[in-house]
Amino acid sequence: MLFIFLIFEASSAILYTPARVAALAGPDSWFAVSLGDVFYGLLVLLVAVALGKRFPAQVFTEYLPEILGKIPGKLLAATYALIIIHFGSPLLNEGSTFIQLTLLSLTPPAVLDTVLAVVAIYGAYLGIEVIARENGMVFPAWALMVVLLLSLAAIDLNFSNLKPVFENGLLPVLRASLFHSGWRGEVFFMLMLYPYLNQKHEALKTGLLYLGSVMILAGTVHAVIVGVFGGPVTAHLIYPFELLVGYVSLGNWLERLEIVVIIFLIAAYSIKLAVIYHSAGIAVASTLGLKNYRITLLPIALMAIILSRVLYGTYLKLSNYLFHDWPIEALIVELAIPALILLIAVIRKKGGAPDAQQ
Amino acid sequence: MFHWLLNLFGRNRQAGGPLKKPYLVEPEQEDRVLSKKLDDNKQVLTEIFDRCEDLVMREIRIGKQGSTRALAVFLDSLVSLETLEETTTEPLQTIQAPPSGITMEWLTEAAVPNARVLIYKRWVDVAGEITKGLVALFVDGQDRALLLYAPEIVDRPVMMPQTESVARGSLDAFNENGRLNLALVRKRLHTTRLAVEKVDIGEVTKCRINIVYLKGYVYEGLVEEIKSRLHRIRIGGVLGSGQIEELIQDAPYSPVSGIGVTERPDRVVSALLEGKAALILDNDPFTLVVPTTLTTEMQSPEDYYNRYWFASFIRLLRWSSLMIALFAPAFYVAVTTFHQDLIPTDFLSSILSSHANVPFPGMVEALVMVLAFEVLQEAGIRLPKPFGQTIGVVGAILIGQVAVTAGLVSPIVVLTIAMTAVASYTLASLNLSTGLRLLRFVLIIAAGFLGLFGVMAVFTMATFQLCAVRSFGIPYLSPFAPMSLGDFKDTFIRAPIWAMRMRPRLQGYVEPVRQDLNKPRPPQPRP
Repeated sequence: MLFIFLIFEASSAILYTPARVAALAGPDSWFAVSLGDVFYGLLVLLVAVALGKRFPAQVFTEYLPEILGKIPGKLLAATYALIIIHFGSPLLNEGSTFIQLTLLSLTPPAVLDTVLAVVAIYGAYLGIEVIARENGMVFPAWALMVVLLLSLAAIDLNFSNLKPVFENGLLPVLRASLFHSGWRGEVFFMLMLYPYLNQKHEALKTGLLYLGSVMILAGTVHAVIVGVFGGPVTAHLIYPFELLVGYVSLGNWLERLEIVVIIFLIAAYSIKLAVIYHSAGIAVASTLGLKNYRITLLPIALMAIILSRVLYGTYLKLSNYLFHDWPIEALIVELAIPALILLIAVIRKKGGAPDAQQ
Repeated sequence: MFHWLLNLFGRNRQAGGPLKKPYLVEPEQEDRVLSKKLDDNKQVLTEIFDRCEDLVMREIRIGKQGSTRALAVFLDSLVSLETLEETTTEPLQTIQAPPSGITMEWLTEAAVPNARVLIYKRWVDVAGEITKGLVALFVDGQDRALLLYAPEIVDRPVMMPQTESVARGSLDAFNENGRLNLALVRKRLHTTRLAVEKVDIGEVTKCRINIVYLKGYVYEGLVEEIKSRLHRIRIGGVLGSGQIEELIQDAPYSPVSGIGVTERPDRVVSALLEGKAALILDNDPFTLVVPTTLTTEMQSPEDYYNRYWFASFIRLLRWSSLMIALFAPAFYVAVTTFHQDLIPTDFLSSILSSHANVPFPGMVEALVMVLAFEVLQEAGIRLPKPFGQTIGVVGAILIGQVAVTAGLVSPIVVLTIAMTAVASYTLASLNLSTGLRLLRFVLIIAAGFLGLFGVMAVFTMATFQLCAVRSFGIPYLSPFAPMSLGDFKDTFIRAPIWAMRMRPRLQGYVEPVRQDLNKPRPPQPRP
């Protein structure tokens, strides 16, 4: 399960955010993404695990009606189902845009969307266990590659790019980390995955491990990117990480390594989308009272493809969403509402007491 | 899945109906027993074996006095006449009959020297054993029949393995004789732990399957599962391991079965030692091993005979070959069609100049070449041996030279396909390489339409599928997914034998420890 969250981070966060973070925080972006928003992630995680412990056998959308009462609960569950479905569409768009810009510039993006969605839907259809296994297989290879590529890229690291530290005070750094925290908060999918954890008492530990490793991963990636390109340049790149790896040239023959990144990111996006579609399917099925989530997958994929085209048809729209709307939406969806729900659950004494599950 | 469709067309109506019994006896006669009168029995025999002209009924008289009539019945084609004479008819005719009269017990204990005899009283059993090649001895006044072994050996000797040859290691292989196959396994495992359970599959073929496992090493649930899956099969006839495999595999629609196929007894034994079970078949030199994972398919028995440094190197080589065999043509297609920018410029110019005269896009080129290779391969297997070389020469000239000079394909694609072909022959498992060949086509087509993204999409779907496959409960991709690091000692590398202290975690957990600390510790010279 740890791996699932890691791949979450590994895909879109590494791909899209460095530019924006660098624009906001400059040389300090490594701090913004590692230490700055760990607190936010921690809050989200604590809320999610606390809720999960109260309802260990149910997913978020299932126990909402129990906490809030039937009608408001169902309404909120439906909202969350829609939010998760929608969540998949910018992500789908991220993936297809990335593929289009790097690999297939002439292919219509809708085709890329569709293929990516089909792969993910197939994974979601096979179930969370299969996704987790696939992920467990891809992730170690991916981690190894990242370490290898980063150390190759770090040859060109220029430490003066990382100085001065906190030139403009802490405020821009905090702003950058707040902006980035939406990605860190993706740990809120724990709400939808908690019943599938095989070692539930380790949920918190897993989450903390995730946060810790992401701290290191994201921090290192951002540090190397900014260190090599410098803050101002990074801010104007679309895919700094991909470019960073493309920048590697060893002995004039080991070149064009970004293809490795592209290949792994395709796998990462497929898996991340599969998790999201799975969660969306579960959310829809539990809201509508269906026994089998699988029949909801096809309409969900269709919606995700259409939304991805209609809402985020251009890179401008996508980046506008990712960099302006998503951080605020994330704050509400990932932290505020679950925290409120937890509060209500505690007050109304719904669900098993947390220590009854030990 | 398609049941409703079949129902729609009325094709499935017979599903679940009764199967015809192998002998021409009505179901209510299943309990019919032998009569005491020899002539009655003879009458029934002629009814049961109606129109079986190779049935021999030989009347003899038991004892020197020749007082008691007896009848030896057998199928001529299955019984060795010499053995029968030596072990049955001659002793029976010369023996001194006891004064108390002839009984079945006396016959088995004193009269016939055969090592194994059976006594049956139901016609179903007696007829069944006769069809298996036993000699039935009916004695007047007895309502039971004595069944004796006097088989005609219709075997070939133990030969070298055809599909899994090794340079170093044992060279015996299973053949079509189930008894001999069992002997080859027993020969290597001198223990009472080796359990052999028999199941006959097919109402008519009665294909004998020996479920072989090591008691105390195997998870008992696995044996139960195997038996229940085998007993669930209700079929007229099966001919061999391939059909059994498809009837018991976990995922019916999956291209990989998760069942290992081998003709090497040492491979079977090493599987048994890891807590697996094997299905040894009569009439099929290929033995099924369950559960089997991708890693076991990638292991060759030779890995354990070679030095571990070298064996590890070969393992890595084999995994790389797997990747080459799978991806090389697709990669070629993707790179030449879509991602020219991925190739270094010098290399690109040579590829493009060689491709300049070819009228087809990369995908067509690669597909044609792969298909040609598949055709050659199939022809090479199917053709009678003397023609084999012709195919080789024709193939080499046709593909290697003429196709290039004629401008149909570029030399690079010939090189790619040749590498693919050679690489795919390094794989140790037949099942794996057949699955691979199919996936290769899909990948080439995907690469032709969507470049590397298509390749990756198909590959991700394929791995999703493989992650879902289980082989008798064991995930097919273990120990990669789910990950268990301890078992990596026998995947990409082959650790020294003394370092592999534990059995594979998911299969051998009943008795996890394989060995003590056996690391060689030679006496140190005095400093």
